[in-house]
Amino acid sequence: MRSFGSYILPIAVAALYLFLYIPIFVLILFSFNDNSFTCGWTFFTTHWYYDLFASVEVWYALKNSLLIAISSVFLSLTIGSCLIFFGSRESVKRLLILFYGSLAMPEIVLAVGLLSLFSFFAIPLGAITLIVGHTLLGLGYVIPILHARFIELDESLIEASYDLGATQRQTFFSIVLPLLMPALISSGLLVFIISLDDFIISFFCAGASVQTLPLYIFAVIRTGASPMINALSTIMLIFSSFFVLLFSFLHIKKQGRRNES
Amino acid sequence: MKIKENINNFITDNASFIFSVPAVLWQVLFLYVPFFFVLYTSFKRVTDSFGFDLTCDNYRAVLSSPYFYIIARSAFIASGVTFLCLICAYPLAYFLALKVDRRWKNVLLFLLTLPFWTNFLIQIYSWVFVLDHNGLINMVLLKVGFIQEPLHMINNMGAVFFVMLYYYLPFMIMPLYSILEKIQHDLLEASMDLGATHWQTFRRITVPLSMAGIKTGVFLVFVPAFGEFVIPSVIGGGHHMLVGSLISHYFLVVRDNQLGAAFTIVSGFVLLVCALLFNWLCVVPSQQVQKELAQ
Repeated sequence: MRSFGSYILPIAVAALYLFLYIPIFVLILFSFNDNSFTCGWTFFTTHWYYDLFASVEVWYALKNSLLIAISSVFLSLTIGSCLIFFGSRESVKRLLILFYGSLAMPEIVLAVGLLSLFSFFAIPLGAITLIVGHTLLGLGYVIPILHARFIELDESLIEASYDLGATQRQTFFSIVLPLLMPALISSGLLVFIISLDDFIISFFCAGASVQTLPLYIFAVIRTGASPMINALSTIMLIFSSFFVLLFSFLHIKKQGRRNES
Repeated sequence: MKIKENINNFITDNASFIFSVPAVLWQVLFLYVPFFFVLYTSFKRVTDSFGFDLTCDNYRAVLSSPYFYIIARSAFIASGVTFLCLICAYPLAYFLALKVDRRWKNVLLFLLTLPFWTNFLIQIYSWVFVLDHNGLINMVLLKVGFIQEPLHMINNMGAVFFVMLYYYLPFMIMPLYSILEKIQHDLLEASMDLGATHWQTFRRITVPLSMAGIKTGVFLVFVPAFGEFVIPSVIGGGHHMLVGSLISHYFLVVRDNQLGAAFTIVSGFVLLVCALLFNWLCVVPSQQVQKELAQ
């Protein structure tokens, strides 16, 4: 028989999971609630979902957010992998500390700095300034992740490629890039989520011209939220959990195949 | 043709330099240069448009302002959140890394990352539904008859603290989990075989080996929690400010960039001092254990 003590840890873990999931349950629940002003439950409805699909503002904001997120992912991965591959190993190692700077200070300090820079040079705030800021945030994750993966790579593979007459460019595209793919995908995904979810830099550097999804949500919350937002995030949650499951399923399958061969 | 060849040769010869420049330049131009801009602004005279007529007036104004206590409050709240996160996250990470079998582990890890995919503003706002005057908790308690009057659970510092604990918990769990997962079971078993109790094994083996994860987690929580801006404005109703709220108030509402910059620098300095203190706190116990082991 197991002692009483061995149940304490699982119970504590279950309680913590419950704590983490309360808001998720609540937001799903209230996306079906007909009552938009108070928190009381009236009756089941799906009309917030209809409203959501009819809303112009939400889709406009989502489109901007996706555009900015994809651009930041692309930019940070491109310049990040260039640095990791082409830079000499010693200099990259020395430069690495530079990229921890954005993690070592609160995001609001970055935002204030960027705002001062842009306003000093009178650069108009908008989508471009947001991409600049989000790429900066992204580099702080991309460079350490790619670097950790790159130094694990077998250097003899790269040397063999050069010995067989490949140029630097050929080696980069046909040897290093495929080997770095898992790290590129995971760091790219991370930058994508961070950019899509970023509020503080967007709040400071977006100006009045561009509306992103978090900015729109914040504005709605400030003025009394509509459950339409809940409906939107329920849909996003379903989509993303589908993708994460698909992703991990493929990963497990691939691992299984590797084990067989 | 000749020119193109020359350019190509130049690129291949200096590839290492040319391709490392963009990333470094991006980082320096948009992170470190702006930092000096903020520093410069904080010493600038309000009347002076562009020049080097520097002054410490802004700092004097910040240090004597009635808002100065907000820095202390932020440091206090952020330390509290960090400490409680550590207390809550450690058992969870320990359980995930060392106690649970493989199949369940993947499910639990998946559940842990899933909330990251919903917008964090909505997650935070969902707590309003739970804690509000006529929210979920009050509704249930009134129905059951535990209370006659709805409890005031929102728009106060306690609620801000609670929701910050909620929001930052995963940031503590992840680094702890990834370091605890690397601990070899042999070491723990060896310790038990040699007659150590569970508690001794935990204190002498597990905790010192996971010190790096604790440190990462503490910084991942403390730094953003110190500059928190969204949670006080959504949950605290805008009256319970932290450093982040005040910075954005200076820059975006009253548009006093000089004062805002000075306040940013002062609070950054306090953050640095706190970070060094935490670093020292993390180093001392592991040294102590090493000393005990050496004896």
